[in-house]
Amino acid sequence: MSEIFKSEVTLSENGFLFDHGSGLTYTLNTTGQFIFRQLQSGQKSKQIMEKMLDEFEVIEETARKDLDDFFRQLNELGLIDL
Amino acid sequence: MKQEKKSYVKPTIVRHSVGVTNKYGRPPATVPMSRLNGFDVKELVNEYGSPLYVLSVEQLRQNYQDMFRAFSTRYPGARIAYSYKTNYLKAVCSILHSEGALAEVVSGFEYDIARNLAMPGEKIIFNGPYKTRDELARAFTDGAMVNIDNYDEIQVCEEVADELGRKFPVGVRVNMDLNNPPWHKFGFNVEAGHAYEAVKRIQSGGKLDVKGLHIHVGTYVDDVNIYSMAAQGLVNFYTVIKEQLGIKLKYWDMGGGYASHNTLNWAWQSAEYTCPTFDQYAEAICPILLKGPFQAAEAPRLFLEPGRALVDEPISMITTVVSQKRLPGGKRGVIVDAGMNVLSSVQWYNYNCQTVQDSGLTLEDTILYGGLCMNIDVLRQNAVLPPLRRGELLVIPHIGAYNLSQSWQFIYLRPAVIAIDNGKIHLIKASETREYVQEMESVPKEFNTYSIANKN
Repeated sequence: MSEIFKSEVTLSENGFLFDHGSGLTYTLNTTGQFIFRQLQSGQKSKQIMEKMLDEFEVIEETARKDLDDFFRQLNELGLIDL
Repeated sequence: MKQEKKSYVKPTIVRHSVGVTNKYGRPPATVPMSRLNGFDVKELVNEYGSPLYVLSVEQLRQNYQDMFRAFSTRYPGARIAYSYKTNYLKAVCSILHSEGALAEVVSGFEYDIARNLAMPGEKIIFNGPYKTRDELARAFTDGAMVNIDNYDEIQVCEEVADELGRKFPVGVRVNMDLNNPPWHKFGFNVEAGHAYEAVKRIQSGGKLDVKGLHIHVGTYVDDVNIYSMAAQGLVNFYTVIKEQLGIKLKYWDMGGGYASHNTLNWAWQSAEYTCPTFDQYAEAICPILLKGPFQAAEAPRLFLEPGRALVDEPISMITTVVSQKRLPGGKRGVIVDAGMNVLSSVQWYNYNCQTVQDSGLTLEDTILYGGLCMNIDVLRQNAVLPPLRRGELLVIPHIGAYNLSQSWQFIYLRPAVIAIDNGKIHLIKASETREYVQEMESVPKEFNTYSIANKN
């Protein structure tokens, strides 16, 4: 488990997320899952950005804003520590 | 060879919770509404600005024709008088008049709009609790149908008849104990005997002649039984005043209040399930009225005064996302550029919101804020929406009733209104300008402190 996560999490193949710490469940969309898996494998935001640009049809400015917003969301949900 | 890149949606995560749907819930429309009446929504906004009101002329005509057919096939000679107050844009009124609608007005201002659109007096029904002496004189002279609301008005009408030296036909507005709370504001109450007294008083004055009865049972009345009770009440009342006072009616008017396909804020079920059809309304009213105290040839003409039911659905609003933010409780807030100043009916309705662009299928409970710098400016407490970015568009359908006539100019200029008719776009109201808004203002030179300050 990457250090960034507050407790153990399991992400299924279709985007269902279980937080072992709180018992809460979530759904992530495809892009969300992609980023989440990068986080799980210990990637930092700069590397994740590069991978997003490689993987998806998206311009850097949009990806940067969205990634920022997504991290903030994960932080507010208590899943990660920024 | 490098693989093609995957299509991109904004990354999002949604916490699961109970209570989001119920057995009546259907999946919110996540299919993007990229086109409106055949036109690309983004292009409409590029051309005419955002927010933007969009009228479907075809749907407006269709609504009128549906209602007219429902009533005229059940009550020979039934006529529809369009309730101006729900939307008195000249283009909207003109379209309905071209279909055959009369004008139902409730103020001198509205009366003037109708006359200005070349409506003859005899095709105008003049209601409302406050009509000035001059307005009444004009209406009587033009041959408009005037429905009297109160005793003071009886007196003014008699004075006007005296001045004009003629006896004028009038209608009497009545109300009944039909709903809870009852609608007692308009006209004279039947159960308390006030309506009978009013008719008696008018006839005994000898200056006016009661030729019509009018009832308005409420607003957004989706229980057709209330209309049935009102119709029965009118039949009973007519029977009494015919027998005892010798009244012979030329018309009776069932007023308005017909619902539209918008869900009220406090409604349990969606309006899709609860909003009656025009046929259901007509079936609730017409057979009862036809059992009135008259032979078929002498049946009073039936008038109906719909507003909301005609104009709500044909108009949509396009609005732009200004910002998306997280609230302390974790809920998402989305701010759009249309506020309750141009969507005042958000106080009554849970409007549907439809995305324009493909934003993915991950939906989230969202509070939708208007763009006004006011805490109360909330368009939806709970809208289920996909992720949205600044600059993306939403379409809010079915907003044609009251939102334009009750709009207020507040900190922003009010938007344009376009009409789409047979693949053609018409600008029927340009967006406001600062000069237009301040046109009636003036600053006395004594107040011009700026120049004084500059001197010092």
